[in-house]
Amino acid sequence: MSSTSQKHKDFVAEPMGEKSVMALAGIGAALGKRLEEKGFDKAYVVLGQFLVLKKDEELFRDWLKDTCGANVKQQGDCYGCLKEWCDAFL
Amino acid sequence: MASTQLTDEELFSELKHFGVTPGPVTESTRPVYLKKLKKLREEQQQRGSRPGKTRSSGAINSTSGGGNTAGSRPASHDVTHLSSSRRPGRKSSVLGFSSDESDAETPLKRKGLNHSSRADRSSGFPPQPKIRPTTPSVANKSQYGVTSKLNSNNSSPGPGGQRSVSLGWGVRARSSPEAEGRDYDESGDEDDYAGEIEKNSRSLNGCGASHLNTSKLAGDYSDSDEEEVGGLSVGDQQRDRLEPNVRRSHPKAEFTSHGVGRGSQTGGAARQVNPPESLNMVGNRRVEGEGDEVKRMDSDSSGGLRSHNVPRKSIYVSLAENHGGEAGKNNHVDGEDGAYRSSTSRFAIGLRPRFSNYSSLSQTYRGNHSNHTAPNHSYSQAVLKQKLSVPEDELLQQFKREEVASSGSFSAHYLSMFLLTAACLFFLLLGLMYLRMRGSGSSEVDGVIKSHPFGSDFDDTYNKEDKDLILKLLLNLHDHLAQVAGQHDCGDQQHPNRSLSIDEASTYLQTQNPEFEDLVLSSLEWIIRTGQDVGIRLTGQVADDPLTDVSEISRLESTHPKMPFSCRFRRAFLTVISRVILIAVVVGCVWSVVCYMKYRWRREEEETRQMYDMVQRIIDVLRSHSEACQENQDLQPYLPIPHVRDSLVQPQDRKKMKKIWERAVKFLSANESRIRKETQRIGGADFLVWRWIQPSLSCDKTSIPSKVWQGKAFPLDRRNSPPNSLTPCLKIRNMFDPVMEVGENWDLAIHEAILEKCNDNDGIVHIAVDKNSREGCVYVKCLSAEHSGRAFKALHGSWFDGKLVTVKYLRLDRYHQRFPQAQGCSTPLKASSLHVNTTSTMNTMPRLQHRGSANSSGFS
Repeated sequence: MSSTSQKHKDFVAEPMGEKSVMALAGIGAALGKRLEEKGFDKAYVVLGQFLVLKKDEELFRDWLKDTCGANVKQQGDCYGCLKEWCDAFL
Repeated sequence: MASTQLTDEELFSELKHFGVTPGPVTESTRPVYLKKLKKLREEQQQRGSRPGKTRSSGAINSTSGGGNTAGSRPASHDVTHLSSSRRPGRKSSVLGFSSDESDAETPLKRKGLNHSSRADRSSGFPPQPKIRPTTPSVANKSQYGVTSKLNSNNSSPGPGGQRSVSLGWGVRARSSPEAEGRDYDESGDEDDYAGEIEKNSRSLNGCGASHLNTSKLAGDYSDSDEEEVGGLSVGDQQRDRLEPNVRRSHPKAEFTSHGVGRGSQTGGAARQVNPPESLNMVGNRRVEGEGDEVKRMDSDSSGGLRSHNVPRKSIYVSLAENHGGEAGKNNHVDGEDGAYRSSTSRFAIGLRPRFSNYSSLSQTYRGNHSNHTAPNHSYSQAVLKQKLSVPEDELLQQFKREEVASSGSFSAHYLSMFLLTAACLFFLLLGLMYLRMRGSGSSEVDGVIKSHPFGSDFDDTYNKEDKDLILKLLLNLHDHLAQVAGQHDCGDQQHPNRSLSIDEASTYLQTQNPEFEDLVLSSLEWIIRTGQDVGIRLTGQVADDPLTDVSEISRLESTHPKMPFSCRFRRAFLTVISRVILIAVVVGCVWSVVCYMKYRWRREEEETRQMYDMVQRIIDVLRSHSEACQENQDLQPYLPIPHVRDSLVQPQDRKKMKKIWERAVKFLSANESRIRKETQRIGGADFLVWRWIQPSLSCDKTSIPSKVWQGKAFPLDRRNSPPNSLTPCLKIRNMFDPVMEVGENWDLAIHEAILEKCNDNDGIVHIAVDKNSREGCVYVKCLSAEHSGRAFKALHGSWFDGKLVTVKYLRLDRYHQRFPQAQGCSTPLKASSLHVNTTSTMNTMPRLQHRGSANSSGFS
């Protein structure tokens, strides 16, 4: 199994509810703040964006990079986290 | 692209055109989709640019058709066809272009082609040596050819053709007379290129600038050009695009126009096209014919050309060299080229697409020039021929390079070998010299003996002649004795004795020189007198007595035997070998002793461990029996020792375990206080029995659950387990505590436990217990992901041995890395039925107890 962080596991283990956007894997304080400034203040809003991009990895990564300046690893973590969450709960 | 002006719907439809089904274009997704659209467009243009170029060239042809004569037009088409046909071949090199040889080759090729074409066209230039179009780059050649055709001013065949091509180019840009002049100029050495270029640089400045720009923007330029070219299908649009590109890149627009004006020969329309075309062509030309161009450049249009020319030239020259074998120049040029080449080649590559344009333009120009018409026909032929030869040239070039490379490596290999052999020889020589030195020892040079060990008295006593005689005598004697000794040592049977008796020595000396006779005794006396070792040892009748008088001497022996070389060598060799063998034997002995000791020690440890295990089992048996006895008063509270042994040890192991058993019994009687050995009469026979005499502890048995499953902690649902099993490998955590484990086969017990838990799952093929892990990890491999999923469901979250077990999936390749033996396992493992049924394993005993305590081993 690929190594997933604790954050990832925690996020994927249950419905996200009202979790903040910083609960997403790969999104730390800095990135989270930037996302909040852009209006993505909750994890479900980012989820919304993810779904609007039709769960496409490349598009989501690009979007993430443009919106909050995430690097490749952070993009990957966030994408993986959301994808897995969708697989489990959607 | 006017992508910023796209509305959402347009963006959406554009993306759909590319086959992408985009999601809604909202304000947050817009930039992402825009980027994607741009990327798709770029890809498309790259793909489409090559075929697009043909189109564009055709377009240009059509657009510039005004100036074209009918004759030239077909030719131009030919050329374009040629170029376009060549282009597909080129594609790979274009795509992969980087600043290395491949790049150089392509431009070379093109140039070569051009050259050849040029050669055809320009027949009027006899001394056009260098630029023989051997260039592998077909494209270049084609371009060149086109240009040459166009230029046709210079009709020098062959190399001249190339030059004429460039000249023609120049002509196109300027005026033909000027070109002519330049052609002549160029007919000098290629080395003059630079000079000529310099000369005409000014005139070329305009175009050169454009070239510069183009070269500078090689990357962008070609890209953008290609984009532009590829994107548009209309020639005019192309031209317009090119023009702005050119103009954009090149601030000195006037130069272009200047150049264009020069090339006023062409029609006005042509001229218009010229600048962009020339730029294109310049770019192309850059590739092609820096070499030719160089010359021509001078005359020609662009100073920029010139600057590009120089790099071109290098490329061109290299091309020419390759082709024409003008190695000197090429090297020279290549040297200076370096960066240029790459840039130019890139440029050339970029321009290649434009070449078609160019060629069409050149066609037009050709039409314009009356001169051109004639060469045109020859040109087409030349082009064809050139094309044919170009691939060969390319191959040749490649082979040349390969040969050079291979010979280089070849020599490197041989160099290393040579060094190795030289070192070996050196050491060998050293050894031989040493041997020789040893053997010859103190052999002195024949002839006058200058030094002697006898001291100054010797000098005083005798006059010179006597002295010499004595010394020579002694020398002779010494040599003879040495020989004798040497031969004796070497096993030569001629001299059974190593030493000579004094009589033999005297006879020998007399035979040497009659004068020696008198001096024998005195010289021997001198030997005695000097205490040093002169190489002759004198022994008396009784061995080892120091001699004091000459009369006592009976035998003479050499202390420095002289042996033949082979003998010496052999002896040395034997000595060395024997010593080496001796050392090896000693080391071997020591090592074997060490190994043996280790083995014994290991064995000891193993046996001790087994003994303790046995002791443990005996104690358990006795204890349980005693407890059973308490419940059931019918049983005797003791157990016969043989019965215990037979119940604990399998029949087939009895012989092996005999020793261990004995030790265990001894240990028990010495160290175990809760067991008493006594003699009882059972069934009429006396037995040595063991009696458990510790009152039972009530909490003991139920407090230690061992190796049983005890229920599930939480139900498995989607929240806390992956919805589908991902891999066939599992890692189970927290099944044991390595510190607490006792016994020797607890890992097997764990194997059994797992198999038993998953006994409905026939897919477990490998289990490995990591005995050293603090987390109590067990690794399991199943036949398939489905099996592992079921095992996961069975194991995850269960209680085992009082610990909560967690499971996670492992990657298959990592698992195989860790346990390579698992790769071959494919037979499902089964829980051994013995584990459940037999009473001999320790687990079953506590089980019997726990059964009563209603622990459910399986879980629901």
